[in-house]
Amino acid sequence: MSSQLTFSELASLMKSCAGLTVDPKDLEKRPDCAFAEYNLDSLGLLGIVSELEKRYGKPIPAGPETCKTPGEFVEAINASLMAGA
Amino acid sequence: MSAHKRRRAVVTGLGVIAPNGVGTDAFWKATKEGIGVLDLISREGCRHLPLRVAGEVRGFDPTTMVEERFVVQTDRFTHFAMAAAGLALKDAEFDIADRSAFGVGVVTASGSGGGEFGQRELQRLWGQGPSFVGPYQSIAWFYAASTGQISIRGGFKGPCGVVCSDEAGGLDALAHACRGIRGGTHAVVVGSAEAPLAPYSMVCQLGYPEVSLADDPERAYLPFTADARGFVPAEGGAMLMVEEESAARRRGARDRALLAGHAATFTGTSGWEKSRQGLAHAIRGALEEARCAPEEIDVVFADALGVPEADRAEALAIADALGPHAARVPVTAPKAGIGRAYCGAPMLDCAAAVLAMEHDVVPPTPNVTEVCYDLDLVTGCARSAELRTALVLSRGLMGSNSALVLRRGTAEPS
Repeated sequence: MSSQLTFSELASLMKSCAGLTVDPKDLEKRPDCAFAEYNLDSLGLLGIVSELEKRYGKPIPAGPETCKTPGEFVEAINASLMAGA
Repeated sequence: MSAHKRRRAVVTGLGVIAPNGVGTDAFWKATKEGIGVLDLISREGCRHLPLRVAGEVRGFDPTTMVEERFVVQTDRFTHFAMAAAGLALKDAEFDIADRSAFGVGVVTASGSGGGEFGQRELQRLWGQGPSFVGPYQSIAWFYAASTGQISIRGGFKGPCGVVCSDEAGGLDALAHACRGIRGGTHAVVVGSAEAPLAPYSMVCQLGYPEVSLADDPERAYLPFTADARGFVPAEGGAMLMVEEESAARRRGARDRALLAGHAATFTGTSGWEKSRQGLAHAIRGALEEARCAPEEIDVVFADALGVPEADRAEALAIADALGPHAARVPVTAPKAGIGRAYCGAPMLDCAAAVLAMEHDVVPPTPNVTEVCYDLDLVTGCARSAELRTALVLSRGLMGSNSALVLRRGTAEPS
Protein backbone atom coordinates (compact mmCIF):
# COMPACT_ATOMS: atom_id res chain seq x y z
CA MET A 1 0.00 0.00 0.00
CA SER A 2 1.32 3.45 -0.90
CA SER A 3 1.63 6.14 1.72
CA GLN A 4 -1.43 7.89 0.28
CA LEU A 5 -4.93 6.43 0.10
CA THR A 6 -6.25 6.08 -3.46
CA PHE A 7 -9.81 5.64 -4.73
CA SER A 8 -8.84 2.19 -5.91
CA GLU A 9 -7.77 1.21 -2.39
CA LEU A 10 -10.94 2.71 -0.97
CA ALA A 11 -13.01 0.62 -3.38
CA SER A 12 -11.28 -2.57 -2.25
CA LEU A 13 -11.76 -1.61 1.42
CA MET A 14 -15.47 -1.02 0.77
CA LYS A 15 -15.59 -4.56 -0.57
CA SER A 16 -13.59 -6.25 2.20
CA CYS A 17 -15.02 -4.29 5.16
CA ALA A 18 -18.61 -3.72 4.08
CA GLY A 19 -19.33 -6.22 1.31
CA LEU A 20 -19.93 -3.52 -1.28
CA THR A 21 -18.92 -3.93 -4.90
CA VAL A 22 -17.91 -0.51 -6.19
CA ASP A 23 -16.06 0.47 -9.36
CA PRO A 24 -13.06 2.64 -8.32
CA LYS A 25 -13.58 4.69 -11.48
CA ASP A 26 -17.02 5.73 -10.19
CA LEU A 27 -15.49 6.93 -6.93
CA GLU A 28 -12.87 8.89 -8.84
CA LYS A 29 -15.31 10.38 -11.37
CA ARG A 30 -17.85 11.42 -8.74
CA PRO A 31 -15.91 12.12 -5.53
CA ASP A 32 -18.86 14.13 -4.17
CA CYS A 33 -21.41 11.35 -4.53
CA ALA A 34 -22.51 10.42 -0.99
CA PHE A 35 -21.37 7.14 0.60
CA ALA A 36 -25.05 6.51 1.29
CA GLU A 37 -25.59 6.17 -2.48
CA TYR A 38 -23.23 3.20 -2.36
CA ASN A 39 -25.06 1.81 0.71
CA LEU A 40 -22.03 2.43 2.91
CA ASP A 41 -23.28 3.22 6.42
CA SER A 42 -21.44 4.83 9.33
CA LEU A 43 -20.39 1.49 10.83
CA GLY A 44 -18.96 0.45 7.47
CA LEU A 45 -16.88 3.62 7.30
CA LEU A 46 -15.72 3.10 10.88
CA GLY A 47 -14.55 -0.38 9.89
CA ILE A 48 -12.56 1.09 7.00
CA VAL A 49 -10.88 3.65 9.31
CA SER A 50 -9.98 0.88 11.74
CA GLU A 51 -8.52 -1.22 8.89
CA LEU A 52 -6.43 1.76 7.73
CA GLU A 53 -5.13 2.28 11.27
CA LYS A 54 -3.93 -1.30 11.29
CA ARG A 55 -2.31 -0.96 7.86
CA TYR A 56 -0.51 2.27 8.64
CA GLY A 57 0.30 1.09 12.14
CA LYS A 58 -0.83 4.28 13.81
CA PRO A 59 -4.05 5.82 15.10
CA ILE A 60 -5.99 8.15 12.80
CA PRO A 61 -7.34 11.15 14.78
CA ALA A 62 -11.10 11.61 14.91
CA GLY A 63 -12.66 13.15 11.82
CA PRO A 64 -12.52 10.93 8.72
CA GLU A 65 -15.20 8.56 10.05
CA THR A 66 -17.77 11.36 9.80
CA CYS A 67 -17.03 12.14 6.12
CA LYS A 68 -20.05 11.87 3.84
CA THR A 69 -18.32 11.39 0.47
CA PRO A 70 -15.35 9.44 -0.96
CA GLY A 71 -13.59 12.66 -1.99
CA GLU A 72 -13.87 14.14 1.46
CA PHE A 73 -12.74 10.88 3.07
CA VAL A 74 -9.67 10.34 0.89
CA GLU A 75 -8.64 13.93 1.48
CA ALA A 76 -9.12 13.66 5.26
CA ILE A 77 -7.18 10.41 5.52
CA ASN A 78 -4.32 11.71 3.41
CA ALA A 79 -4.17 14.95 5.38
CA SER A 80 -4.00 12.91 8.56
CA LEU A 81 -1.22 10.72 7.14
CA MET A 82 0.75 13.77 5.99
CA ALA A 83 0.36 15.44 9.38
CA GLY A 84 1.61 12.35 11.14
CA ALA A 85 4.47 11.69 8.70
CA MET B 1 -71.00 -3.90 16.18
CA SER B 2 -69.25 -4.19 12.84
CA ALA B 3 -67.29 -1.00 13.51
CA HIS B 4 -65.75 -2.78 16.49
CA LYS B 5 -65.01 -5.96 14.62
CA ARG B 6 -61.55 -7.20 15.40
CA ARG B 7 -58.98 -6.80 12.67
CA ARG B 8 -57.80 -10.32 11.86
CA ALA B 9 -54.33 -11.46 10.80
CA VAL B 10 -53.89 -13.89 7.92
CA VAL B 11 -50.79 -15.63 6.60
CA THR B 12 -50.13 -14.74 2.97
CA GLY B 13 -46.57 -15.99 2.51
CA LEU B 14 -44.14 -18.58 3.90
CA GLY B 15 -40.34 -18.57 3.92
CA VAL B 16 -38.55 -21.61 5.32
CA ILE B 17 -34.88 -22.36 5.92
CA ALA B 18 -34.84 -25.77 7.61
CA PRO B 19 -32.43 -28.65 8.11
CA ASN B 20 -34.64 -30.76 5.82
CA GLY B 21 -35.00 -28.15 3.10
CA VAL B 22 -34.26 -24.61 2.00
CA GLY B 23 -37.49 -23.20 0.59
CA THR B 24 -41.08 -24.22 1.30
CA ASP B 25 -41.33 -26.88 -1.39
CA ALA B 26 -38.25 -28.81 -0.28
CA PHE B 27 -39.26 -28.45 3.39
CA TRP B 28 -42.80 -29.70 2.83
CA LYS B 29 -41.76 -32.62 0.65
CA ALA B 30 -39.29 -33.86 3.30
CA THR B 31 -41.69 -33.12 6.17
CA LYS B 32 -44.61 -34.94 4.53
CA GLU B 33 -42.43 -37.94 3.83
CA GLY B 34 -41.08 -37.94 7.38
CA ILE B 35 -37.48 -37.86 6.27
CA GLY B 36 -35.16 -37.57 9.27
CA VAL B 37 -32.06 -35.47 8.63
CA LEU B 38 -30.48 -35.48 12.08
CA ASP B 39 -26.78 -36.22 11.77
CA LEU B 40 -23.44 -35.93 13.49
CA ILE B 41 -22.45 -32.29 13.82
CA SER B 42 -20.02 -31.34 11.08
CA ARG B 43 -19.47 -27.64 11.78
CA GLU B 44 -15.95 -26.48 12.47
CA GLY B 45 -14.89 -26.32 16.10
CA CYS B 46 -17.89 -28.37 17.27
CA ARG B 47 -16.91 -31.93 16.53
CA HIS B 48 -14.98 -32.62 19.76
CA LEU B 49 -17.88 -31.68 22.04
CA PRO B 50 -20.04 -34.28 23.84
CA LEU B 51 -23.14 -32.92 22.05
CA ARG B 52 -22.85 -34.95 18.87
CA VAL B 53 -26.12 -34.91 16.94
CA ALA B 54 -28.02 -31.91 15.58
CA GLY B 55 -30.15 -30.69 12.70
CA GLU B 56 -27.79 -28.65 10.52
CA VAL B 57 -28.90 -26.55 7.57
CA ARG B 58 -26.42 -27.84 5.00
CA GLY B 59 -25.70 -26.43 1.59
CA PHE B 60 -26.98 -22.97 2.53
CA ASP B 61 -24.94 -20.24 0.83
CA PRO B 62 -26.16 -16.93 2.27
CA THR B 63 -24.74 -14.91 -0.63
CA THR B 64 -27.19 -16.56 -3.03
CA MET B 65 -30.14 -15.24 -1.01
CA VAL B 66 -28.90 -12.13 0.79
CA GLU B 67 -26.91 -9.15 -0.54
CA GLU B 68 -23.23 -9.33 0.40
CA ARG B 69 -23.33 -6.07 2.33
CA PHE B 70 -25.82 -7.62 4.74
CA VAL B 71 -23.95 -10.92 4.85
CA VAL B 72 -20.68 -9.34 6.06
CA GLN B 73 -22.35 -7.39 8.83
CA THR B 74 -24.59 -10.11 10.25
CA ASP B 75 -24.44 -13.49 11.97
CA ARG B 76 -25.67 -16.77 10.53
CA PHE B 77 -28.96 -16.46 12.48
CA THR B 78 -29.67 -13.24 10.59
CA HIS B 79 -28.61 -14.79 7.28
CA PHE B 80 -31.28 -17.45 7.87
CA ALA B 81 -33.90 -14.89 8.91
CA MET B 82 -33.20 -12.55 5.99
CA ALA B 83 -33.23 -15.42 3.50
CA ALA B 84 -36.52 -16.71 4.97
CA ALA B 85 -38.04 -13.22 4.99
CA GLY B 86 -37.09 -12.77 1.34
CA LEU B 87 -38.80 -16.05 0.48
CA ALA B 88 -41.93 -15.10 2.46
CA LEU B 89 -42.22 -11.71 0.76
CA LYS B 90 -41.77 -13.30 -2.64
CA ASP B 91 -44.29 -16.02 -1.84
CA ALA B 92 -46.81 -13.35 -0.79
CA GLU B 93 -46.01 -11.29 -3.91
CA PHE B 94 -45.71 -8.38 -1.53
CA ASP B 95 -44.32 -5.13 -2.89
CA ILE B 96 -43.61 -2.26 -0.52
CA ALA B 97 -43.90 0.17 -3.44
CA ASP B 98 -47.66 -0.46 -3.40
CA ARG B 99 -48.19 0.69 0.17
CA SER B 100 -47.15 2.92 3.00
CA ALA B 101 -43.84 1.84 4.54
CA PHE B 102 -45.22 2.90 7.94
CA GLY B 103 -47.90 0.22 7.72
CA VAL B 104 -45.43 -2.65 7.49
CA GLY B 105 -43.65 -3.95 10.59
CA VAL B 106 -41.16 -6.70 11.47
CA VAL B 107 -41.18 -8.97 14.52
CA THR B 108 -38.69 -11.75 15.20
CA ALA B 109 -38.00 -13.99 18.17
CA SER B 110 -34.50 -14.86 19.28
CA GLY B 111 -33.21 -17.19 21.95
CA SER B 112 -29.50 -16.57 21.64
CA GLY B 113 -28.64 -13.85 19.11
CA GLY B 114 -25.52 -14.07 16.96
CA GLY B 115 -23.20 -16.36 18.91
CA GLU B 116 -20.86 -17.27 16.07
CA PHE B 117 -20.18 -13.67 14.99
CA GLY B 118 -19.80 -12.62 18.62
CA GLN B 119 -17.32 -15.39 19.37
CA ARG B 120 -15.18 -14.47 16.37
CA GLU B 121 -14.99 -10.81 17.35
CA LEU B 122 -14.38 -11.51 21.07
CA GLN B 123 -11.55 -13.86 20.14
CA ARG B 124 -10.04 -11.01 18.14
CA LEU B 125 -10.47 -8.68 21.10
CA TRP B 126 -8.63 -10.92 23.56
CA GLY B 127 -6.27 -12.49 21.00
CA GLN B 128 -5.18 -9.43 19.00
CA GLY B 129 -6.58 -6.30 20.65
CA PRO B 130 -9.51 -3.89 20.54
CA SER B 131 -8.62 -2.45 17.13
CA PHE B 132 -9.13 -5.87 15.57
CA VAL B 133 -12.80 -5.96 16.54
CA GLY B 134 -15.00 -4.90 13.63
CA PRO B 135 -17.69 -2.26 14.21
CA TYR B 136 -20.47 -4.61 13.11
CA GLN B 137 -19.94 -6.56 16.34
CA SER B 138 -22.06 -3.82 17.91
CA ILE B 139 -25.13 -4.96 15.97
CA ALA B 140 -24.52 -8.50 14.70
CA TRP B 141 -24.70 -10.50 17.94
CA PHE B 142 -27.61 -8.47 19.26
CA TYR B 143 -30.96 -10.27 19.61
CA ALA B 144 -32.62 -7.51 17.56
CA ALA B 145 -30.26 -7.87 14.58
CA SER B 146 -32.63 -9.86 12.38
CA THR B 147 -35.60 -7.55 12.92
CA GLY B 148 -33.44 -4.49 12.25
CA GLN B 149 -31.80 -5.81 9.11
CA ILE B 150 -35.05 -7.14 7.62
CA SER B 151 -36.68 -3.74 8.18
CA ILE B 152 -33.70 -1.86 6.70
CA ARG B 153 -33.46 -4.15 3.70
CA GLY B 154 -37.18 -4.00 2.95
CA GLY B 155 -37.72 -0.35 3.86
CA PHE B 156 -40.35 -1.36 6.44
CA LYS B 157 -40.99 1.50 8.85
CA GLY B 158 -43.99 0.18 10.78
CA PRO B 159 -43.92 -1.15 14.35
CA CYS B 160 -40.96 -3.47 14.86
CA GLY B 161 -40.13 -5.69 17.77
CA VAL B 162 -38.08 -8.58 19.08
CA VAL B 163 -39.19 -11.29 21.45
CA CYS B 164 -36.13 -12.43 23.42
CA SER B 165 -37.23 -15.68 24.95
CA ASP B 166 -36.94 -19.42 24.97
CA GLU B 167 -38.51 -21.70 22.34
CA ALA B 168 -42.08 -20.52 22.93
CA GLY B 169 -40.98 -17.02 21.87
CA GLY B 170 -41.57 -18.07 18.26
CA LEU B 171 -45.32 -18.31 18.88
CA ASP B 172 -45.26 -15.21 21.05
CA ALA B 173 -43.74 -13.27 18.13
CA LEU B 174 -46.79 -14.23 16.05
CA ALA B 175 -49.06 -13.01 18.83
CA HIS B 176 -47.10 -9.75 18.89
CA ALA B 177 -47.61 -9.40 15.13
CA CYS B 178 -51.35 -10.01 15.57
CA ARG B 179 -51.50 -7.24 18.17
CA GLY B 180 -49.77 -4.95 15.68
CA ILE B 181 -52.35 -5.81 13.03
CA ARG B 182 -55.18 -5.19 15.50
CA GLY B 183 -53.60 -1.86 16.34
CA GLY B 184 -53.67 -0.68 12.73
CA THR B 185 -50.55 -2.11 11.07
CA HIS B 186 -51.33 -3.52 7.59
CA ALA B 187 -48.65 -6.17 7.41
CA VAL B 188 -45.93 -7.75 9.54
CA VAL B 189 -42.97 -9.86 8.47
CA VAL B 190 -42.75 -12.22 11.44
CA GLY B 191 -40.94 -15.32 12.59
CA SER B 192 -37.68 -16.62 13.89
CA ALA B 193 -34.49 -18.32 12.82
CA GLU B 194 -31.63 -19.41 15.02
CA ALA B 195 -28.03 -20.52 14.53
CA PRO B 196 -26.94 -22.27 17.73
CA LEU B 197 -24.50 -24.69 16.11
CA ALA B 198 -21.22 -22.85 16.67
CA PRO B 199 -18.60 -23.60 19.35
CA TYR B 200 -19.52 -20.98 21.97
CA SER B 201 -23.27 -21.57 21.55
CA MET B 202 -22.78 -25.32 21.68
CA VAL B 203 -20.87 -25.09 24.95
CA CYS B 204 -23.72 -23.01 26.43
CA GLN B 205 -26.16 -25.77 25.51
CA LEU B 206 -24.10 -28.41 27.29
CA GLY B 207 -25.51 -26.96 30.49
CA TYR B 208 -29.06 -27.99 29.60
CA PRO B 209 -29.91 -31.31 31.24
CA GLU B 210 -32.59 -31.81 28.55
CA VAL B 211 -30.14 -31.93 25.65
CA SER B 212 -29.54 -35.37 24.15
CA LEU B 213 -25.92 -36.48 24.16
CA ALA B 214 -26.68 -39.66 22.22
CA ASP B 215 -24.55 -40.23 19.15
CA ASP B 216 -26.93 -42.29 17.00
CA PRO B 217 -28.83 -39.78 14.83
CA GLU B 218 -31.85 -42.05 14.53
CA ARG B 219 -32.08 -42.70 18.27
CA ALA B 220 -31.00 -39.35 19.71
CA TYR B 221 -34.41 -37.62 19.73
CA LEU B 222 -37.38 -39.92 20.34
CA PRO B 223 -40.18 -37.91 21.95
CA PHE B 224 -43.16 -39.73 23.50
CA THR B 225 -41.30 -43.05 23.60
CA ALA B 226 -39.78 -45.12 26.38
CA ASP B 227 -36.39 -44.39 24.80
CA ALA B 228 -36.72 -40.61 25.05
CA ARG B 229 -33.37 -39.23 26.17
CA GLY B 230 -33.64 -35.53 25.51
CA PHE B 231 -33.88 -33.23 22.53
CA VAL B 232 -31.55 -32.55 19.64
CA PRO B 233 -30.83 -28.91 18.79
CA ALA B 234 -31.16 -27.52 15.29
CA GLU B 235 -30.63 -24.35 13.30
CA GLY B 236 -32.87 -22.52 10.83
CA GLY B 237 -36.45 -21.34 11.12
CA ALA B 238 -39.27 -19.70 9.23
CA MET B 239 -40.63 -16.25 8.51
CA LEU B 240 -44.24 -15.56 7.64
CA MET B 241 -45.88 -12.68 5.82
CA VAL B 242 -48.89 -11.77 7.94
CA GLU B 243 -51.44 -9.22 6.76
CA GLU B 244 -54.68 -7.70 7.93
CA GLU B 245 -57.39 -9.83 6.35
CA SER B 246 -59.28 -7.19 4.37
CA ALA B 247 -56.09 -5.44 3.19
CA ALA B 248 -54.77 -8.80 1.99
CA ARG B 249 -58.02 -9.48 0.17
CA ARG B 250 -58.02 -6.04 -1.47
CA ARG B 251 -54.61 -6.58 -3.00
CA GLY B 252 -55.58 -10.07 -4.14
CA ALA B 253 -53.17 -11.89 -1.83
CA ARG B 254 -53.66 -15.57 -1.03
CA ASP B 255 -55.17 -15.97 2.42
CA ARG B 256 -53.43 -19.18 3.45
CA ALA B 257 -54.30 -19.35 7.13
CA LEU B 258 -55.86 -17.30 9.88
CA LEU B 259 -53.91 -16.67 13.10
CA ALA B 260 -56.97 -17.30 15.21
CA GLY B 261 -55.85 -17.44 18.84
CA HIS B 262 -52.82 -17.46 21.10
CA ALA B 263 -52.03 -17.59 24.80
CA ALA B 264 -48.85 -17.94 26.82
CA THR B 265 -48.05 -18.88 30.39
CA PHE B 266 -44.90 -19.20 32.47
CA THR B 267 -44.23 -22.04 34.87
CA GLY B 268 -40.51 -21.62 35.57
CA THR B 269 -37.65 -24.05 35.54
CA SER B 270 -38.28 -26.13 38.62
CA GLY B 271 -39.58 -29.30 36.98
CA TRP B 272 -41.36 -30.18 33.76
CA GLU B 273 -44.42 -31.55 35.54
CA LYS B 274 -45.41 -27.92 36.15
CA SER B 275 -45.67 -27.30 32.43
CA ARG B 276 -48.78 -29.52 32.42
CA GLN B 277 -50.88 -26.86 34.08
CA GLY B 278 -49.21 -23.99 32.21
CA LEU B 279 -49.53 -25.55 28.79
CA ALA B 280 -53.15 -26.61 29.39
CA HIS B 281 -53.95 -23.05 30.44
CA ALA B 282 -52.26 -21.68 27.31
CA ILE B 283 -54.25 -24.09 25.12
CA ARG B 284 -57.52 -23.04 26.77
CA GLY B 285 -56.62 -19.37 26.29
CA ALA B 286 -55.76 -19.86 22.63
CA LEU B 287 -59.01 -21.77 22.02
CA GLU B 288 -60.99 -19.06 23.75
CA GLU B 289 -59.44 -16.30 21.69
CA ALA B 290 -60.04 -18.32 18.54
CA ARG B 291 -63.64 -19.09 19.66
CA CYS B 292 -62.78 -22.67 18.97
CA ALA B 293 -64.23 -25.73 20.69
CA PRO B 294 -61.74 -28.50 21.57
CA GLU B 295 -63.49 -30.83 19.09
CA GLU B 296 -62.71 -28.46 16.25
CA ILE B 297 -58.95 -29.09 16.56
CA ASP B 298 -58.04 -31.36 13.66
CA VAL B 299 -54.31 -31.72 14.33
CA VAL B 300 -51.87 -30.89 17.13
CA PHE B 301 -48.22 -30.03 16.46
CA ALA B 302 -46.71 -31.03 19.77
CA ASP B 303 -43.79 -29.44 21.58
CA ALA B 304 -42.33 -32.96 21.99
CA LEU B 305 -39.29 -32.22 24.13
CA GLY B 306 -38.20 -35.85 24.29
CA VAL B 307 -37.69 -35.81 28.07
CA PRO B 308 -40.00 -38.37 29.74
CA GLU B 309 -41.23 -36.02 32.46
CA ALA B 310 -41.90 -33.27 29.90
CA ASP B 311 -43.55 -35.60 27.37
CA ARG B 312 -45.87 -36.89 30.09
CA ALA B 313 -46.74 -33.33 31.13
CA GLU B 314 -47.53 -32.41 27.54
CA ALA B 315 -49.72 -35.47 26.94
CA LEU B 316 -51.62 -34.67 30.16
CA ALA B 317 -51.92 -30.98 29.25
CA ILE B 318 -53.46 -31.89 25.88
CA ALA B 319 -55.90 -34.19 27.69
CA ASP B 320 -56.69 -31.56 30.33
CA ALA B 321 -57.46 -28.91 27.72
CA LEU B 322 -59.08 -30.95 24.96
CA GLY B 323 -60.94 -33.48 27.11
CA PRO B 324 -62.03 -36.73 25.42
CA HIS B 325 -61.04 -35.25 22.03
CA ALA B 326 -57.37 -35.51 23.12
CA ALA B 327 -57.38 -39.27 22.58
CA ARG B 328 -58.81 -38.93 19.05
CA VAL B 329 -57.04 -35.92 17.54
CA PRO B 330 -53.96 -36.69 15.43
CA VAL B 331 -50.79 -35.38 17.09
CA THR B 332 -47.49 -34.98 15.30
CA ALA B 333 -43.93 -33.80 15.92
CA PRO B 334 -42.04 -33.28 12.65
CA LYS B 335 -39.22 -31.79 14.71
CA ALA B 336 -38.19 -35.32 15.71
CA GLY B 337 -36.66 -35.50 12.23
CA ILE B 338 -35.01 -32.08 12.12
CA GLY B 339 -34.33 -31.12 15.73
CA ARG B 340 -35.39 -28.10 17.75
CA ALA B 341 -34.23 -24.78 16.38
CA TYR B 342 -35.15 -22.98 19.62
CA CYS B 343 -37.47 -20.04 18.73
CA GLY B 344 -37.31 -21.20 15.12
CA ALA B 345 -38.83 -24.58 16.05
CA PRO B 346 -42.46 -23.50 16.61
CA MET B 347 -42.17 -21.30 13.50
CA LEU B 348 -41.25 -24.36 11.44
CA ASP B 349 -44.25 -26.10 13.02
CA CYS B 350 -46.48 -23.17 12.01
CA ALA B 351 -45.21 -23.37 8.42
CA ALA B 352 -45.85 -27.13 8.48
CA ALA B 353 -49.33 -26.55 9.95
CA VAL B 354 -50.27 -24.12 7.16
CA LEU B 355 -49.00 -26.56 4.53
CA ALA B 356 -50.70 -29.52 6.25
CA MET B 357 -54.07 -27.72 6.16
CA GLU B 358 -53.56 -26.78 2.50
CA HIS B 359 -52.83 -30.37 1.55
CA ASP B 360 -55.12 -32.14 4.06
CA VAL B 361 -52.21 -34.23 5.24
CA VAL B 362 -50.79 -34.75 8.73
CA PRO B 363 -47.03 -35.20 8.39
CA PRO B 364 -45.53 -37.97 10.52
CA THR B 365 -43.15 -37.94 13.49
CA PRO B 366 -39.85 -39.28 12.08
CA ASN B 367 -37.87 -42.01 13.85
CA VAL B 368 -40.63 -42.69 16.40
CA THR B 369 -42.44 -46.04 16.44
CA GLU B 370 -43.67 -47.10 19.90
CA VAL B 371 -45.61 -44.32 21.60
CA CYS B 372 -46.02 -44.72 25.35
CA TYR B 373 -48.66 -42.04 26.06
CA ASP B 374 -52.36 -41.89 25.39
CA LEU B 375 -51.99 -39.84 22.23
CA ASP B 376 -52.72 -40.61 18.59
CA LEU B 377 -49.21 -39.71 17.49
CA VAL B 378 -48.86 -39.97 13.72
CA THR B 379 -45.78 -42.09 12.99
CA GLY B 380 -44.36 -43.84 9.96
CA CYS B 381 -46.32 -42.33 7.06
CA ALA B 382 -48.27 -39.14 6.59
CA ARG B 383 -52.01 -39.44 7.23
CA SER B 384 -54.74 -37.91 5.05
CA ALA B 385 -57.37 -36.03 7.03
CA GLU B 386 -59.53 -33.00 6.47
CA LEU B 387 -57.71 -30.28 8.37
CA ARG B 388 -59.46 -27.02 9.07
CA THR B 389 -57.93 -26.07 12.39
CA ALA B 390 -54.46 -26.72 13.78
CA LEU B 391 -53.04 -26.28 17.27
CA VAL B 392 -49.30 -25.58 17.60
CA LEU B 393 -47.67 -26.01 21.01
CA SER B 394 -44.31 -24.84 22.27
CA ARG B 395 -42.52 -24.88 25.59
CA GLY B 396 -39.19 -23.36 26.41
CA LEU B 397 -36.32 -24.54 28.56
CA MET B 398 -36.71 -21.43 30.71
CA GLY B 399 -40.34 -22.15 31.53
CA SER B 400 -42.54 -20.53 28.87
CA ASN B 401 -45.57 -22.35 27.46
CA SER B 402 -47.42 -21.12 24.39
CA ALA B 403 -50.26 -22.32 22.20
CA LEU B 404 -51.44 -21.04 18.83
CA VAL B 405 -54.63 -21.90 16.92
CA LEU B 406 -54.49 -21.59 13.12
CA ARG B 407 -57.52 -21.87 10.86
CA ARG B 408 -57.33 -22.87 7.24
CA GLY B 409 -57.40 -19.95 4.81
CA THR B 410 -59.58 -19.53 1.76
CA ALA B 411 -56.78 -19.87 -0.83
CA GLU B 412 -56.39 -23.00 -2.91
CA PRO B 413 -52.98 -24.70 -2.62
CA SER B 414 -50.62 -23.58 -5.36
